[in-house]
Amino acid sequence: MKKLTAVTALALAVLSGLAHADRLDDIKKSGVLRVAAFDSNPPFGFIDAKTKHIEGLDVDYAQAIADKLGVKLQLQPTNPANRVPLLTAGKVDLVLANFTITPERAEQVNFSIPYFASGQQFIVKKGTLKSQDELNTWRVGVDKGTTNEGVLREKFPGAKVVAYDDTPFAFTALRNGNVQAITQDGPKLIGLLANIPDKDKYEVPPFTISNDLIGVGIPKGETALTEFVNKTLTELESDGKAQKIYDTWFGPSTKTPLARLYKIGDKS
Amino acid sequence: MFGELLGPKYLNWLFDGFLITLGLSVIVCLVATLLGFLVCLARLSSLKLWSWPARGYLALFRNTPLLVQLFFWYFGVTSLLPEAMVVWLNQPHSLTLGSAELNWPSFEFIAAFWGLMLYTSAFIAEEFRAGVASVRSQQREAGLAMGLRPAQVWRYVVLPQALRTALGPLLGQYMNALKNSSLTMAIGLAELSYTSRQVETETFKTFQAFGFATLLYIGTIALIEVAGQLIQQSKRYKQGAA
Repeated sequence: MKKLTAVTALALAVLSGLAHADRLDDIKKSGVLRVAAFDSNPPFGFIDAKTKHIEGLDVDYAQAIADKLGVKLQLQPTNPANRVPLLTAGKVDLVLANFTITPERAEQVNFSIPYFASGQQFIVKKGTLKSQDELNTWRVGVDKGTTNEGVLREKFPGAKVVAYDDTPFAFTALRNGNVQAITQDGPKLIGLLANIPDKDKYEVPPFTISNDLIGVGIPKGETALTEFVNKTLTELESDGKAQKIYDTWFGPSTKTPLARLYKIGDKS
Repeated sequence: MFGELLGPKYLNWLFDGFLITLGLSVIVCLVATLLGFLVCLARLSSLKLWSWPARGYLALFRNTPLLVQLFFWYFGVTSLLPEAMVVWLNQPHSLTLGSAELNWPSFEFIAAFWGLMLYTSAFIAEEFRAGVASVRSQQREAGLAMGLRPAQVWRYVVLPQALRTALGPLLGQYMNALKNSSLTMAIGLAELSYTSRQVETETFKTFQAFGFATLLYIGTIALIEVAGQLIQQSKRYKQGAA
């Protein structure tokens, strides 16, 4: 009897799954959008010291999507490794956690169009870099064991690459003049600059030499939900809300000012 | 069993690094031997004006980690120098001597040479001093009693025996200098350890990259050992010359 109940339950679950194949309808019906976000990766998703709530650029986008749906936003903290499993197990409806779009991940989940791009950039002493080509003759510091080194070599074969054990060492080399520039992911460089006392002497020139596109993770096969998210993101860009969200976290008046090089809908 | 071998591009990287390791070690050993000998003489001097600074030098360079010393010369000293000088040091320069063109080495190389050379010279000075100490004082007295001047006692009695005794440990210090040169990767000198790590990052062939570097180190150390054996078996050495 017990066995039979289990089988019936399973059959019911499968049937109901088929009947409600559309997650978008489920969300509207339940009135709650469940989103996985980082809780310790500022400024994308982190717990605000004052409010004790998860905030950040990813959270603002999640809120905008929930508002568009007219439902409540429910956040689920995650770490990088859990992002795909949370989606495949159906524990969350969307993942907005600095989720880089890669072909490997795209086999397991759907991705929206990109809403953010981070790329490899440079820190130089203010006013020293007149054009990108100069990097071809410069001494450039990188972190050992990162992909940054390979990308740099590929884009600027003439640059003299000097690899250091970590970013603070590379920055000390820049400060001392042992190298003329250091290279890393843009948001990381900005984070580094935010914490040094004489940051006015340095700048991050507004160009990237690689592009990691960040998208919203959506359960595999949820076409209607994917289309809805894409439509919402495009609208956010056209009515200026996307720029506003960006400026909240990376605008000129923030601790981590970074020029916005990528807009939603841009070709990568 | 060990997976694919490394491509020619990566082997070239490793050989370039190996050449830097060899070049650095050779000039470090040469200069450190000369400086070490002078420090040893100063340390043995009966004048405090000479012996006390030498004591200080030995204590300073033997009792601090080499890595810290390298950071000091590379990061510490450059932060004190005037900016224009640091810029000059870091720019490539070349010196034209007739038809030959000499390229000024990178600042990483200069800092690595300077740091490793001072460190090694302190150890070499102590090996020389141990060699001198192994010659019993009666020999000096005997030499003086035979009517040799003090300088002649040094040249013909003490030094030949001291150098003979010091030869083994001295070669040991040369091996140390070669191995210690791997620490200069921390200040960005592209020597063998640096390039093996670079190859590992690009190819993910961890075993091959580090295995190859290990072989090159072992091979070079073995050559130094063979050279030592050859010297010790030579007729001149057996007859007592240094």
